[in-house]
Amino acid sequence: MNPKKPTFLLLLMMATLLALGACAPSDPPTIEGEPAVTFAAAAGGENGAEECEHHAGHDDAGLPADEPAAFSVYHAASVWTDQDGERRPLDSLAGRIQVVGMVYTSCGDACPRMLVDMKRIEGELANGLQDRVGFVLVTLDPERDTPERLAEYAQGARLTGDRWTLLHGDPGDILELAALLGVQYRRLADGEFVHSNLLTVLDAEGQVVHRQVGLGADPTPTLDVIRALTD
Amino acid sequence: MRRLAAFLLVLPLPLAAQAGGEGQAAPTGGAAMAVVPAGSYTPLYAMEEGQVRVASFRMDRYPVTRGEFAAFVAAQPRWRRAAVPPVFAAGRYLGDWRSDLDPGGDLRAPVTGVSWFAARAYCGWAGKRLPTSDEWEFAARADETRSDASGDPAHSRRILELQNRRKRTPPAVGSIFRNRHGIHDMHGLVWEWVSDFNTVTAADDSRGGDRTDGALYCAAGADGATDREDYAAFLRYAFRSSLKGNSVSSALGFRCAADL
Repeated sequence: MNPKKPTFLLLLMMATLLALGACAPSDPPTIEGEPAVTFAAAAGGENGAEECEHHAGHDDAGLPADEPAAFSVYHAASVWTDQDGERRPLDSLAGRIQVVGMVYTSCGDACPRMLVDMKRIEGELANGLQDRVGFVLVTLDPERDTPERLAEYAQGARLTGDRWTLLHGDPGDILELAALLGVQYRRLADGEFVHSNLLTVLDAEGQVVHRQVGLGADPTPTLDVIRALTD
Repeated sequence: MRRLAAFLLVLPLPLAAQAGGEGQAAPTGGAAMAVVPAGSYTPLYAMEEGQVRVASFRMDRYPVTRGEFAAFVAAQPRWRRAAVPPVFAAGRYLGDWRSDLDPGGDLRAPVTGVSWFAARAYCGWAGKRLPTSDEWEFAARADETRSDASGDPAHSRRILELQNRRKRTPPAVGSIFRNRHGIHDMHGLVWEWVSDFNTVTAADDSRGGDRTDGALYCAAGADGATDREDYAAFLRYAFRSSLKGNSVSSALGFRCAADL
């Protein structure tokens, strides 16, 4: 590990506070963010579990019927290619709860563990619920993760049936979806990616209702959210 | 006669843009962009690979103004205040505008209160794109005469001073110095969106790791500051990392870039 790193992180955290407050005396930039979502972090994480009331979509009355809910990620007009080579708009995921992870399949260590976490959620859902929940892997690495490669990956990891969707898309659309989900990532010069290990639960309308942060996180809060949505 | 004089003033601008020389570009048309020559730099976060190569690119000489953004929302109704879904822009989007289509105030001032999604849509509409953080930071190292003034403590102090003197209501674009590339207002007018605001700037090298915070990331470069003196750059990275795609702030605007 780089010995300079803790200092950097500390400075960055301080700088964040300053940037948001004291250090811009002439105009502290107040920032408005996104709706509250339930948020669960891996044990030992700094984030802690923070439960917030979910109030997305409360002000979408009066919109045309085909308009997505106010906080729906399906406002994005992106079109993707799935592991079967089918072209599909993002909102083709609507109508079902979706558990979404952004990964790259050549990732050595963490990404298989993210998949393990997703399969664990899948496994713990009762049979009746499994059909109401989809699992989506979106590649961060469209160059190497071609739809064909994604198909091989799905085969190898036994992500079969219509419950699993693997999506390939344009870099700009990937960036946009990452911004909608709150996934941070960066491509390194050696072709690897740094990315948040974040699973997002979308309700049937595409609103972010829950985030599971970290590898090997306790899936209970995620499962609770999914069960509540299917009550 | 006056029209002729204006014509003569405008004529040399594309040449001036090429050479990075003098010119009074209006923030419209081809001359509104400057060419930033290719080069390498070491970003604030030191990546494993050290230096980052930045290909030459074009960048708007000025941040996008209220007047320019008004033309955009007039042409693109879905980006009007009343129409934009909150997932794309938080509630105070264009919050200081008089109405959906009328910015009011100084039309030559930089537009603020725009989200990343809106800024990105604007640049796409204009046939451009947002600059990457590497492009922005690379171009921002220049002062009036040097393409890289970042090692000079006097320059760093100046940037911080400009930052601290920032006005709550930003004045017209072009009010902060014009750098060697012919780009104005990089420091001290408004913060600016970049395309990869959600890039990872601080992460643990967790590829083989079992550290607790390693759980957050799949893989990482070894990050650390390369230039501790560059506190203004710290502030920019920190500010960006605090943003969501739909965040809006009265101090946050943008400019566009394009490939050569």
